[in-house]
Amino acid sequence: MRKHMLLIALFTLVIASVADARIMAKGRGAKMNFDPDSIPAQYKAQFDLMTRKCVKCHTMERTVIAIQTGRAPITGQPFERQAVKAYGIKMLRKPDSNMNKQEIRDVVMLLNFLLGENAK
Amino acid sequence: MKKRLIRSISIAVIGGLALSLLHVGKASAIPAFTRAYKVECSTCHTIYPELNEYGEAFLKNSYVYFGKGKKAVREKEAAAPAEIAKPAAAATDVKGEGDADKLSKLKAGAMGASGATASEPAAEATSPANGAAGGGEAKSEGLLLAAIPELLPISFTASVQGAYDHSQPNEFDLSSRVLKLNAGGNFREKASFFATYVAYSENTSNITNTTSTTPANNSTNIKELYVIWRRAFDTPINFRVGRMEPKLSLWKSSNKLSVTNSFAPYSYTVGVSEFTIQQPQDALEANAILGNRFFVAGGVVNRKFQNAKEGYGHISCKFGGADYLANEPEVDLAKEESIFDFLTITVGAYGYYGKNGTPNTTPGITPIQNTYYRSGVDMDILYKLFRLRLAGVLGDDDSSNLTASLSNVAPVKVKSYVAAVEGEFTFLQNLIGAIRFEYQDDGRGLVRRYIPTLAYGPLENVKVVLEYKHEVATSYASTPTSVAQDFTNRIGTLDVTFSF
Ligand code: HEC
Repeated sequence: MRKHMLLIALFTLVIASVADARIMAKGRGAKMNFDPDSIPAQYKAQFDLMTRKCVKCHTMERTVIAIQTGRAPITGQPFERQAVKAYGIKMLRKPDSNMNKQEIRDVVMLLNFLLGENAK
Repeated sequence: MKKRLIRSISIAVIGGLALSLLHVGKASAIPAFTRAYKVECSTCHTIYPELNEYGEAFLKNSYVYFGKGKKAVREKEAAAPAEIAKPAAAATDVKGEGDADKLSKLKAGAMGASGATASEPAAEATSPANGAAGGGEAKSEGLLLAAIPELLPISFTASVQGAYDHSQPNEFDLSSRVLKLNAGGNFREKASFFATYVAYSENTSNITNTTSTTPANNSTNIKELYVIWRRAFDTPINFRVGRMEPKLSLWKSSNKLSVTNSFAPYSYTVGVSEFTIQQPQDALEANAILGNRFFVAGGVVNRKFQNAKEGYGHISCKFGGADYLANEPEVDLAKEESIFDFLTITVGAYGYYGKNGTPNTTPGITPIQNTYYRSGVDMDILYKLFRLRLAGVLGDDDSSNLTASLSNVAPVKVKSYVAAVEGEFTFLQNLIGAIRFEYQDDGRGLVRRYIPTLAYGPLENVKVVLEYKHEVATSYASTPTSVAQDFTNRIGTLDVTFSF
């Protein structure tokens, strides 16, 4: 019983904290990014990775807009979990994206998390 | 409430910024498809006009942006399980943050404010996907009914070249200038069109002294001009009619890094015949993507003053990589990296059969004809930063000198064997090098070529290409009537090409 209570408590806590942790964007244009303060600690590493690697060919703005609008800004396609994975695979395969599978997996996980947050 | 306000404002800001970004993109001037679809060159090109996988898919999809078509988006949304589709759906609910509709309206507003013409926001908002997804402004009904693209789908490509040839008296020559117009697009995804018009190319034949003469224009010419009836009768078959490069080799002739050197298998001629595989022809072609990874094409070529039609066929298949509809391959991100995650192999085979010579439509005159065929295979291998292209053609001409048995000169039968192999390496996204070897046994002798190319794109629509051709001919007759001899050509070219 106590175990259950604990679980429920934990669950509500997680929900509450996540619900609270709105993902905000900061900056303008080329400097736009998700607000690092709104990224939970367990995603910090992935977030840093994304901020470093995903700006090689374009700014973070694209990614922020894709998450916020649920629509990929360039191609206009829905930006949902499936699309995020496909986009990750595309990036993995792009010559010169300079990202390996592990890194892509991390960014995909982060983007999925952000999508989930934003859908709340 | 306050949060919402902040969010609305941030959307406005994002929208405005997105828009100014698009504007910057436009200011840097990029051609028709880029303008129409608001995508960057690198979506479809490596260093243009060389295509990447997605450009190839766009081409095969008759200039309808994969995934952007109404159908594609509908299919995608239908295919996505409810739970997966949720974020996208949620984006349009009351929360505002992800309201695509609102965003595009804001974008449109910002565009108007920044002094763009009134039609532009509509163009932005009515790209098929937005329309289909319920986002964006409605395209004016008139334009919609007229099926006319909102933005004039024309672009220009200009090249300026300098050549260095040690054997020439004028060793370094600003050798040529070319201006081409390209137009292309689709009409409500039902029909597509494409045209290449050579507005200017250098003609030096009238220059006899150097007092003060600038080279004249060669006659202008339509290189390609065709329309495509897409997905005829709701089948996967597209009908293409007009002047076109028949679909034979894996790559269109422009789809390469080098600017001056066509691939020998597609550009060699035999005897007095001017036929080449990449030559634009007046033709009717049917083609289709089958099972996402096969492409088949077949066509009939019309020749003036000839009542016999010529025919051709092509089949190709792609293993690995994105399919011909630009869907990403299934890659398990949780698994260890494997070479199959990165390996893409495309193979193609084709054949062309025809007859050319003197007109066979003049009553009472026996035509002098050459019956010929070409059959070829191509292969394109892509692995990470490496790309390898292989091309080989076998040709047969039964009367390459175009003489009939009634004259006293015997017809010269020629079997031709021409092959090329090109390796390419992507140093950086905008710096690509290639080296090609060609072997050409075309009945006039033997030619071997070594062609290194280095292309650099300082901007996506500007490129600088340095290339060198080392050509070794062994007992080769440069023209059908000249005497066979050994010779070596060494030509360096520096090219600057820009498109807008
Ligand atoms: C090698 C260059 C390169 C790198 C690295 C790169 N991108 Fe992109 N990105 C592009 C290009 C080119 C486009 C334009 C559309 C396309 O090719 O899909 C694009 C488009 C996008 C879009 C819009 C997609 C659409 O369909 O509208 C998003 C979102 C995006 N990138 C996110 C990312 C993320 C996240 C990363 C890091 C994992 C990343 N990019 C790394 C080149 C790159």
